[in-house]
Formats: sequence, structure tokens, C-alpha cells
Amino acid sequence: MSESQQESTRQCVSCGINVAGMNAARFKCPDCGTEIHRCAKCRKQSNLYECPDCGFRGP
Amino acid sequence: MTDNENELETAPDDVEEAAADEAAPAETEPDATEDAAPAEAAADEAAAADEPETAEEADDEAADAGPTFDEDVMPDDEADLLIPVEDYLSAGVHIGTQQKTKDMERFIHRVRDDGLYVLDVSRTDSRIRTAADFLANYDPEQILVTSSRQYGRFPAEKFAEAIGARARTGRFIPGTLTNPDYAGYIEPDVVVVTDPIGDAQAVKEAITVGIPVIAMCDSNNQLSNVDLVIPTNNKGRRALSVVYWLLANETLDRRNAGTVYALEDFEADL
Repeated sequence: MSESQQESTRQCVSCGINVAGMNAARFKCPDCGTEIHRCAKCRKQSNLYECPDCGFRGP
Repeated sequence: MTDNENELETAPDDVEEAAADEAAPAETEPDATEDAAPAEAAADEAAAADEPETAEEADDEAADAGPTFDEDVMPDDEADLLIPVEDYLSAGVHIGTQQKTKDMERFIHRVRDDGLYVLDVSRTDSRIRTAADFLANYDPEQILVTSSRQYGRFPAEKFAEAIGARARTGRFIPGTLTNPDYAGYIEPDVVVVTDPIGDAQAVKEAITVGIPVIAMCDSNNQLSNVDLVIPTNNKGRRALSVVYWLLANETLDRRNAGTVYALEDFEADL
């Protein structure tokens, strides 16, 4: 995987910001297992997220 | 957070807990007796106990009504559930509170005449399966289950024992996830909380270390810092037993473990 691809996969699934620092979360989609990143702000504001692969909507 | 702060935050819930516990048996009585009388008819019958004629009329009305669910709890009555919908209703899993949050709106099916919000049971069922799928991705020992709520302690411990996870019930000692010098320090990969309000310290520390949080949320909970919601009544004794029991069996099923627990194993003594 190239560097740019790695960066794109570390983007918050809700807002698209590059995930860095503390308080962010990384977990596998409960439905399809795709890696999901959520930034600290979206977690705190309980913004909805959607899995890019299967469309699972959380939290 | 101190104990006092926890008490202050959960104090209003105690009132709702009593309301939820009272509400659940009242709703399920008609089903239990297989009379299938609507709750209104039953209430009329009780009120008019001194007048035999009106009581008979109420009986007639009940008989005419035919067998129906005591409550409308989900949009699709034909949904495929883990257990019969009557079992969910008898445990009061669908009973919410008299407050609702914007976050939980999408899990609420309707509001009752007495002001209690009714959770969509089909979504509770679906989320239990989803949470089981989610937990199956993790090493059992790296799952932490917490419950500061009294009625959630036994089911949470039993759930942890069933799936091989770790449990922290009662007061969540600050530093459990963040202070390596603390003797009880652990580094789990995922946290399951019974109530984000009561278990606020566990959620806070999970955020600090950057691990996902699965939370059982009632209609009055906010979803701040929660990564996966299981919408349920998180205040009733039987409701928590049923949800933890289902979650344990589903998680074990995902691992192809042969063990299947009975609901009685998750019910605490009164």
C-alpha cells in the first residue's frame, strides 16, 4: 500500500479529516470488518458514521 | 469522577428505574394470562371491580378484541428476532424513559400515553447481533465489561465469565485504563458499558486510550464518545439480564463455541 493510500485510510469516516493524536478510535466495521477511523471531535459530538464498504451506520 | 458525582448524575434515573420496573409487569400481564386483553380494558376492569355488570362488559370487550400484542413495539411485526417478541416485552427491554435525546431518536419507535418512550425492539435485536459480530473480532481477554449500576453487575460479570472477558463492576477506579502504576491497570482493546452515564469514568478513560466503546443506551442517553449503541432499557433488572444473555450466546455462537447459556444463569437473585 502506498503512502497516499495509507493516509486516505486514516481519514475519519464522518468528516474526512486526517486522524491523528489521542482520543480518536480505530476499529473494524461490525458488519464487514473494514477498518473504520473516527476522530476525537466526531466521537465527542456523536456524529453518525457510515462504513464506506457495507453502508453500516453507527454509532 | 468521584462517587458523589456519579450519584448526582444517576439520581434521576432511579426514579425512572422504578417507573420502568412498574410499567413492564403491568404491560405483560395480559400476555402472561393468555387473556390478551388490552391494558385499557384490564384497567377498566380493575376500577370497576365493585360493579359486576360493568366488569362483565369489560370481559366481553376483551374477548371481542381477540389475541393481540399488548403493545406496538416495532414497525415490522414479521421481523426475525433472536427470541420471541413476547419475551422481550415481558423483560421490559423496550421500555424507555420519559426523556429522550436527539441521539436516541432513531432507536425510538413511539411514545406511550403515559409519556414513556418505547424503543424499537427489532433494532435492539439487530444491534445485539451486530455487537456480537463486533466482539468476535477481539481476543476475549481484551474485552472489558463495566457496570456501576446495581442491576447490571451480576449480568455483566456473568457475561464476562461466559465469553472469557474481564469485568469491572461497582465503582470504576480512576486510572484502571490510564495509570500503569495502579495495581489493577489493564489495557483492553474494547469496552462494553452498561450505561454511559453511570459508567462515565470508564468511557472517559476508554477515550483517552483510544479504544472503541460499546454502550447499552436508553432513550435518555447521549451517544457522545460511544462507537456502537445497543438500544435497550438499561435500568431494569430483567432487561439487562436478557440483553447480556443474548449478547453472550451470540458472541459464543460467532466463535463456534458449543456452550449455550440459559436466561436463568444471567438473572440475579432479588
